[in-house]
Amino acid sequence: MKTRLALMVMMIVALGLHVALGEVHIDWGAFFSATLMGEEVNDLHATVLRDVRVPRALMAMAAGTSLGWLGLLMQTWFRNPLAGPGVLGITSGGSLGVALAVLLGLSMPAWMAASLGCFAVLLLIGVGARRFVSPVTTLVFGLMISYAVSAAVTVLQSSATAEALQTFVFWGMGTFGKASVSQATLCLALQAGLGIWMMRRSKWLDMWMLGEDMAQTMGVPKSRLHLEILLMTGLVLGAVTSVCGPLAFLGLATPHVYRFFHPKRGHLASIQGVGAWGALLALAADGVVRFTDSMSMHWPLNAVLAIMGAPVVLAVLWKRTHDWS
Amino acid sequence: MNLHLHHLVLGYHPEAPLTSEFSTQFQQGGMHVILGGNGSGKTTLLRSVLGIQSVLSGTIGLDDGANSLVVQRGGAWQKHMAYVASTPPREVGLTVREVLELSGSHEGAAMHHPRLQPWLTRRLSELSDGQKQQVMVARAMLQSQSWIVLDEPTAFLDVKGQADLWDMLTQHLEHGGSVLMATHDLRGVLRWAQSNEHARGSGSLSVLGRDGLESMPWGIEEQMLIDKLTGSPQS
Repeated sequence: MKTRLALMVMMIVALGLHVALGEVHIDWGAFFSATLMGEEVNDLHATVLRDVRVPRALMAMAAGTSLGWLGLLMQTWFRNPLAGPGVLGITSGGSLGVALAVLLGLSMPAWMAASLGCFAVLLLIGVGARRFVSPVTTLVFGLMISYAVSAAVTVLQSSATAEALQTFVFWGMGTFGKASVSQATLCLALQAGLGIWMMRRSKWLDMWMLGEDMAQTMGVPKSRLHLEILLMTGLVLGAVTSVCGPLAFLGLATPHVYRFFHPKRGHLASIQGVGAWGALLALAADGVVRFTDSMSMHWPLNAVLAIMGAPVVLAVLWKRTHDWS
Repeated sequence: MNLHLHHLVLGYHPEAPLTSEFSTQFQQGGMHVILGGNGSGKTTLLRSVLGIQSVLSGTIGLDDGANSLVVQRGGAWQKHMAYVASTPPREVGLTVREVLELSGSHEGAAMHHPRLQPWLTRRLSELSDGQKQQVMVARAMLQSQSWIVLDEPTAFLDVKGQADLWDMLTQHLEHGGSVLMATHDLRGVLRWAQSNEHARGSGSLSVLGRDGLESMPWGIEEQMLIDKLTGSPQS
């Protein structure tokens, strides 16, 4: 209980710091008194908050929480501690969708292209899942999907315009900074939907941990659960990926960070903690990105996430104990 | 409720059935053991009875004279039919209490099986295979007061684990439950039958082969049983 409270406080502090700090110094005393008295607020400050910092912080929170939950979902679904939306090639599917849309100049919104790409890979996994008897097969499958996608993307790049190419490359580095208020709000709404769905299905997911046959004999309708997982993952991951780029490691690493600090493994009991850790990690990573921006070094978000996430994965492999779940 | 198999043909592909058509009935309250070689279709039969695999033809149903029920996925069927797999789930971080609560009240389970009491707050993954399997049997007994279906439950257990598991199954029979079990553990089955004359009263011992299930009396000798299983001519 104490750790959970501390986690919530940390997340709120991170959110506050993310909004409060930045290159434009905001005099918060003057800002609040002006707002409260109904006086004219400094235009620059209001614009910075409304158009830059608040949507960016909200987007980081929505993306971190959603990816943490999706990582948990994938790890349960495949009963594999190294599963995650990135590892299974689902994010790559989203990349291919965006590559097709941006590089070929299709008149399709990026979120739709990314979602379709995610769905396509999820369907492949869904069809192949019955043959994936071992966790290794599943991981190799994801790896192959990623290779195939990067091959396709390379081919697309060779004939793309320089401008489209630049857009795509920057998108691939990942950022929370491109999100508009409406995009961040949409992702938050999808995140809420995902959270509610996972709470409602927490018992099925717990049963699923005991094995596929066991879960079915306990009353879990397998095809329906598969379908719901495909839909939720495709929608949420598609939306987040189209706005922020193909984010690495957040989905895979967040559940393990949660497991390191918290004892509860049931889905209902861990949803809150996993979500909060996801948000916290995303905000922290973006804090590093913004700090390097202020030093004119401009580290891409995906590089920071990899630096943070890779050690977590190595630690899991190193420990590989009997109770990762 | 008695378990009926009507004109059943087992298998995965219609062109390659595992058995020819057969019918049989398993009495409620009995210990029903199915023997058979690898690939004879024991697991297929159990999965069909559990409702997670479809049969090539025929029907599976429960019947107690007043009510009848046909096999289905989930729903009412699962209240009468719970499953224990041959390997207990590994790498599950849920506590024993949480696992039991998925199917009923952990207090009830701990009351019937005092052995489980000290494990309640431990993670399932921390227990030995024998202990895990006992938790899974206790969970199955919470889900179904009627039938428990076990697929080679003693395959990975040491002598102590096997004895504990047989104890729990005997207890289930004493409470009016029924057991359907596939196993290779011929000696374990016969040893249990020798010491539980009462419990085996309404049960059956069957060998699954190409012709379907052939049921035998519990008193059959080990050598005769081995001959049945190996297909050697009986002299």
